[in-house]
Amino acid sequence: MIPLVTRIADGASATVRIIGHVAAWSGLALVLLVAFNVIARYFFGFGTVALQELEWHVMAVSALFGMSYGLNQGGEVRVDVLYSAFPPRVRAMIDLAAHFALCAVALVIAYLCIAYVEASYSIDEGSPDPGGLGYRYVLKAALPAAFALLALQALAMVLHGALRLVGALPLPETDRS
Amino acid sequence: MPFTEILALCMIGAFFVLLIAGIPVAVCLGVTGFVFGYFGFGPMLFTLMPARIFGVVTNYTLLALPLFIFMGIMLEKSRMAEDLLEVIGLAMGGLRGGMALAIILVGVLMGAASGVVGATVVTVGLIALGPIINRGYDAGVASGVICASGTLGQIIPPSLVLILLADIMGESVGTLFAAALIPGLMLAGLFVTYVLLLGVMRPAAVPAIPSEERANYSRRDLAGKLVKVVLPPLVLIFLVLGSIIGGVAAPTEAASMGAFGSIVLAALAGRLSYTVLRDTVRAAFVTSAMVFLILIFAQPFGLAFRGLGGERLVHDAFGAVPGGFEGQLLFLMLLLFVLGFFLEWIEISYIALPLFLPVFLASGADMAWIAILVAMNLQTSFLTPPFGWALFFLKGVAPPSVTTAQIYRGVVPFIGLQGIALALVFLFPGLALWLPATIGW
Amino acid sequence: QTSFTWKMTNAYGPGSPFYVEGPGSPTDFCQKVEAMSGGRLRIQHFAAGELIPALEGFDAVRSGAVEMNAANAYFWAGRVPAAQYFTTVPFGLNFQGMNAWLYHGGGMALWDELYEPLGLKALPMGNTGVQMTGWFREPIQSTADFEGLKMRIPGLAGKVYAALGVDVKLLPGGEIFPALERGVIDAAEFVGPYQDRRLGLQNAAKYYYTTGWHEPSNVTELLMNKAAWDSLPDDLKAIVQTAAMACNLESHTWCEANNAAALRDLVENEGVIADVLPADVVAELKAVTDSVLTEAAATDPALGKVHEAFMAFKAEHGAWAAVSEKPLYSL
Ligand code: NA
Ligand code: NA
Repeated sequence: MIPLVTRIADGASATVRIIGHVAAWSGLALVLLVAFNVIARYFFGFGTVALQELEWHVMAVSALFGMSYGLNQGGEVRVDVLYSAFPPRVRAMIDLAAHFALCAVALVIAYLCIAYVEASYSIDEGSPDPGGLGYRYVLKAALPAAFALLALQALAMVLHGALRLVGALPLPETDRS
Repeated sequence: MPFTEILALCMIGAFFVLLIAGIPVAVCLGVTGFVFGYFGFGPMLFTLMPARIFGVVTNYTLLALPLFIFMGIMLEKSRMAEDLLEVIGLAMGGLRGGMALAIILVGVLMGAASGVVGATVVTVGLIALGPIINRGYDAGVASGVICASGTLGQIIPPSLVLILLADIMGESVGTLFAAALIPGLMLAGLFVTYVLLLGVMRPAAVPAIPSEERANYSRRDLAGKLVKVVLPPLVLIFLVLGSIIGGVAAPTEAASMGAFGSIVLAALAGRLSYTVLRDTVRAAFVTSAMVFLILIFAQPFGLAFRGLGGERLVHDAFGAVPGGFEGQLLFLMLLLFVLGFFLEWIEISYIALPLFLPVFLASGADMAWIAILVAMNLQTSFLTPPFGWALFFLKGVAPPSVTTAQIYRGVVPFIGLQGIALALVFLFPGLALWLPATIGW
Repeated sequence: QTSFTWKMTNAYGPGSPFYVEGPGSPTDFCQKVEAMSGGRLRIQHFAAGELIPALEGFDAVRSGAVEMNAANAYFWAGRVPAAQYFTTVPFGLNFQGMNAWLYHGGGMALWDELYEPLGLKALPMGNTGVQMTGWFREPIQSTADFEGLKMRIPGLAGKVYAALGVDVKLLPGGEIFPALERGVIDAAEFVGPYQDRRLGLQNAAKYYYTTGWHEPSNVTELLMNKAAWDSLPDDLKAIVQTAAMACNLESHTWCEANNAAALRDLVENEGVIADVLPADVVAELKAVTDSVLTEAAATDPALGKVHEAFMAFKAEHGAWAAVSEKPLYSL
């Protein structure tokens, strides 16, 4: 049982990490894209609506897929006034509950997003601006996908937390898991 | 009181309990929003959730956030930021608090380049917090300076808050930008005064670099080092500000000049390798995501507060206030401050301001002056514990040794300073109104 | 008798005159409906950002999470391209002509036909009347001045300008002023004198051109969930229709009165140079507009159908206006 749970948890975590490593480059793409748009417009009078729209398309994908990777890399923010004074076991229990709740919320949002994407797909939504980017539902589909991935990351954290509580993994000294 | 309004109050209470227990901020927001919202209005209103989240991640003005974060991390990873503050400290000689003053200056300059709070706090936090604590600064003071300087961008134009207020208050964006400049700089001036005073009252909290160490550098060495180390970040800030002032880029896009410039500078300095680039890209991804995660999970909370009729609570409280312009204004200031403990500034503006507008319009007071008072008050809400965006953002990038309690303690004096600045603008409306009148905006 | 409590979202932010507040505005519509129905139909109004972001009303109404949304139908150009014609058409119809088309020229029937399959029902609920061409940092003397001009101009008009060499820049409302003031863009279009002055655009550019060729009028759309609409008893339906019609008239007259005063103030006190685009420039814009519209109409059958009907009505109405109003204006 424990080896199986460990394998699932590690596998889920590794999946999120690998996707994150690829998605992270969207940040560089964003920098280059916006800088290109500014420079090309000012110096060469060149600009297209599609490239301007691409700016926030890239930001959206980056922000959405960053959520799961950020947690994977320990990027949680919490108020640790009391938390840091709790014994490791209590902290592990708080984390387990929090990550379980996160998993549930992420799944609920992913589910809610499906209808949102369907509404967009059913009318072949594109850009309201002439020359803008089409296939808006593809961008919107990043919502359920990213929240499903977030749920997967939360699941990995739940399982790792459970393994810590049953003693299969060491309890962390600090909250940076 | 209707059932839903009681739920709205319970939601706020539950949020605080979870937050204090140490549940991650995003989880507190998401869980309380969904649970109380569900009991209050069922599942229907939650079908609006995707639209709100999509609105956050495609919000064009937030573009400055990942771009500035990228710039800050590139400076850090390429080790261009490493010596920056030390050299500034050395250059300031025996002046205590020199590095804190440098941070305030950077806050003002970045504030003039962007209107997004998270961007400055995170960037300066990344570059400066570790180094100045290593230099013996009190962690609370260091955190307070960074958070307070980082929020200066809200009052120093251009600013998202001012743009939104212009819309709500019926003033032109230009008028508010002009009206905010002097109060913003005055606030920065108060921060500077406070740091200088600290240098006298609590020298250990803001130490100067020891004289023995300073003696190791001749003036020439230092001048050379200053040029080599301080120049790159200055070039970046010049690129960002210069491209706005020179009409090359709109305020939001201008951040890309800094981010792109940081790559070029790292390459010129021979410090750009695949490893540096990869590490920068990954760290920037995590840091931006941390900010977006909180913004995204604030959506269920905001939607539930709205759906449960939370604004009715505020409305009812408003009804109990004694009449008269000054009484209303004072109450508004108090209300903004209190709402700042648990709501985000956009939500606050939308809920509180429309209630007061008729009173203010009828009073004949200058709306630009009121808008600046509101903006300064909202800025304070970024700093008020436990729910202050600036505090969370700094915590997200702070070294693990820095605790939330230290950050909370550190911002308290700055909240006081903001109160003083607010009082000054209240007593002397000319601070806000002179500049727009003079330049005809 | 059943009572209804509905929600209305709005594409415009809190406080915006005409779009949110004031005579004939969407909040005024909600108050009118509540008063006329004796409180049987109560509509809670939410400005942009309060419940959902500005441009999400279409999906919110479609899903039934809110019953009503106030916006302009051309915001839905990416979802239903033909919807653009129910806001405005470049070189199209003015306030009188647009209402004549909608109410009595077959326009409403086409609008219903377009929205019914999507579970939507729309009514005109306001109109800005003719809008201004926009603010330019330098004077426009010929179409050559459009070459390389950076302009903030959304929609079909943007496509027309682009065909004449204009570099179209997308900017959110709040960044128009700083961008124009610093010269990141050379020109910007917003609404009309009253709204533009509120944005402070006169401090960023001095040349203010007219012939609202790009928006001869501009319809505010009351979008409703069709199932919700169908669930209303006939008297409440009549109240909604009548209130929307009253707001359509009242909002337009409010604009006419306030724009007149605002333009005078801009010219007399703010040093704004208000001028008419040169005739040959307008002629060129019109020629390009015709080809842009025809091209767009060919890409989408629904759009093509609305285009045909709109143009047929415009030709007929134009012939009448040339006899009735044109001589009057040239007196
Ligand atoms: Na700013
Ligand atoms: Na706060």
